Amino acid sequence: MRLACQTIGSEELTSTLKPLTATDSHRLGLLTSLDGRQLVALVLDLKGRTAGLVRCELDQCHYSSLTPLIPQAHWFERALKDLFGITPAGHPRLKSNFVPEAFEATLAPLRSAGDRGKLAGEPPRDFRFLRVGGEGVYEVPVGPIHAGVIEPAHFRLSCLGEFICNLELRLGFLHRGVERRLTEVSWPNARFVAEAASSDTAAGNALAHAIAMESLLEVEVSPRARHLRTLALEVERIAMHIADIGGLGVDLGFLGVAAGLSRLRGAAVGLADLLSGSRFMRGYICPGGVTLAEGGRLSQLRAQAQKLRRDVRGFVQMFLDNASVQERLTDTGKVSRGLARDFGLVGVAARASGIAYDARQHFLHGDYPPLAPAPAVERGGDALDRTRVRARELETSFSILEAVLDEEFAGECAVALPQALPANEAACGIVEAFRGELIHLIFTDARGRISRYAIKDPSFNNWTGMAIAARNNLIADFPVANKSFALSYSGHDL
Amino acid sequence: MNVGEWLLFAAVLLVVPILTAGTIRKIKARLQNRVGPPLLQPLYNVVKLWRKGETVSEDATWIFRGAAVINLAVVLVVAALLPWVSFKPGLTGDDIFLFIYLLASARFFGILAALDTGSPFSAFSSSREATLSLLVEPAIVLSLVALALGAHSTSLGSIFAYGAAAGPAAAPVWIVAGCGLFLSSLVELSRMPVDDPTTHLELTMVHEAMLIENSGPNLALAEIAYTVRLTFLYGLTVQCFLHAVYAVAPVGMTLLAVLSVLGIFLLAAGTALLETVTVKLKWTRCPEFIAYALTMGLFACMAAIFRGGV
Repeated sequence: MRLACQTIGSEELTSTLKPLTATDSHRLGLLTSLDGRQLVALVLDLKGRTAGLVRCELDQCHYSSLTPLIPQAHWFERALKDLFGITPAGHPRLKSNFVPEAFEATLAPLRSAGDRGKLAGEPPRDFRFLRVGGEGVYEVPVGPIHAGVIEPAHFRLSCLGEFICNLELRLGFLHRGVERRLTEVSWPNARFVAEAASSDTAAGNALAHAIAMESLLEVEVSPRARHLRTLALEVERIAMHIADIGGLGVDLGFLGVAAGLSRLRGAAVGLADLLSGSRFMRGYICPGGVTLAEGGRLSQLRAQAQKLRRDVRGFVQMFLDNASVQERLTDTGKVSRGLARDFGLVGVAARASGIAYDARQHFLHGDYPPLAPAPAVERGGDALDRTRVRARELETSFSILEAVLDEEFAGECAVALPQALPANEAACGIVEAFRGELIHLIFTDARGRISRYAIKDPSFNNWTGMAIAARNNLIADFPVANKSFALSYSGHDL
Repeated sequence: MNVGEWLLFAAVLLVVPILTAGTIRKIKARLQNRVGPPLLQPLYNVVKLWRKGETVSEDATWIFRGAAVINLAVVLVVAALLPWVSFKPGLTGDDIFLFIYLLASARFFGILAALDTGSPFSAFSSSREATLSLLVEPAIVLSLVALALGAHSTSLGSIFAYGAAAGPAAAPVWIVAGCGLFLSSLVELSRMPVDDPTTHLELTMVHEAMLIENSGPNLALAEIAYTVRLTFLYGLTVQCFLHAVYAVAPVGMTLLAVLSVLGIFLLAAGTALLETVTVKLKWTRCPEFIAYALTMGLFACMAAIFRGGV
């Protein structure tokens, strides 16, 4: 959607944002800057189903941190320091999200080139881990290269006996400069970069990108494209939820169910192939619509989805009904509702903690909100509830597939796009990807080029949840807690 | 000393451990719809590891280098002492307590070697190993003592000797003690549900994390020692069940010999099935599982005493 901008003075920042984010009807979607000379906050109004920008100009490279009053801002403020060199003074745990060895301490990649001189007096980025003292406390370093074939990140566990006192995350190993690159490529090609922001969320990222671009270009897609996009988004959700529950099976040593779900995840990826011609739905959703017509494959899709639904239901039921599984997952990696709310968790993790937020109910993407299901909310906030949320969402996703397949697929696959982007505009695309709320925020400059492209992956919010969840858990349960969040590393690092 | 008997036993000791470990892997893979590695893969692994170079922690001392050899040596001595197949030739001095403390000493050196490397993974896994072995030792002792009560001897050779049929009344003690030994073996061998031998997650491991700093020939020695230990502990369980059968219906020695080896593979298949359908226990719940083994041992002792074994 196009975004209106409210300009305020930097002293009003807290007083403007605090009342907004303190209510359940608003969220801090994104807090960033354009070129280091201002702060821009994207505030989501869930009730009004809109979003707006709050902007304030900065004269210096520092401002008074929002985090002490608005905890949702804490990770965004770390990124401000990393990407723009802006210091949020008074931030309680200012720590770099970059790998210290990879970049110079003074590098601020997104700050405008002519403005770097101001950084001279600012403190460099800080990389220290929080040290836990006391007799018998020891540290276990895990990663960045892990035993499984997963993305890299370093976890520093401070442990006492078999229990974890504190978890420190070091992400940033996959920082590729995606946001900068998106301002460098020509806008018609930007979709290929945008959908690779986190490759397992290719459909989600491509959809968020497409919606933001279409708002800028003022293009309306056909019902056919809307339906096909909804199918793509839900097929991705189905495939990844199956993979995540199966992954939990592997970590618990429940190999029978894990092997079954691994096969079914292959079948779900097969649905994606059938729909889009790509098992991971690369290059499918584009601004204006989708790149491939369904061409009579929908009845086949429906039959395969129905079979998959039956098969998945059996395995997921077997998994959730197993007493040992319940015992391992109950109270493992618990995040209370209060903390989940304060830190603005999204998606599966938020709903497992009792927060009824599902972006499909609030923001226009695909056939949503009209076809949006009720949020799958659980209360406990532990690994078992996160799995239950996934199990319930699998069911609703299959139902949505059925409902969409009953609709009439009218109109063009993709509509033609105008030649140029409008000047000095801002737009965002908000999508409920399988991990949760995914935001693409695009600003154009006076010449109609993309001047700033910000992506907020759901993992960006939820890594905090992981750090909270690990505390006071058994060391041996850490992998299970981590898997139950199933967060993206590349989506965070960008 | 009968050379022929010893040659047969040595041949079985060479072949059966490899096939047992291979059987578990193969069946586990088949149960997960995978083709799985060849049956002889454990052997290929050892050969491959033997040819590889080694990376040794800078903090490690001679204890780390020596422990793998000591471990294998102790395990081979136990394999020679323990009547884990019906046709194992007898040796004098094969006391049950010698067996138990030889196993404990192998574990002791394993723990020392793990601590010696200075890796935090080895450190917490050796702490776990020490805790588990402390808990499981009474279970093994009680099961074996129950059998010793019946035989009026602590010599393994006389306890497990196939003599005159003892009559159906002896069967319950053998069965309960066999169950106790099997459950203890699962803990002793770091198998499900206490430890997951197939996991890749260092933080959850017991046995594998102790070996995490081992590579090349050292790791090969550790793998050989593990497969031999696996085989003789399963063999001991099988002997208990065969004695229960023998007590009811005495069978010929040839059939017993065949059943001894088949039984080990049967237990291996059972383990593979167990590890496909069970979930690893929460670490704080492991003592409860060991309590089952301990209870079996106690029941076996009680049954032996009621039979007038003392």
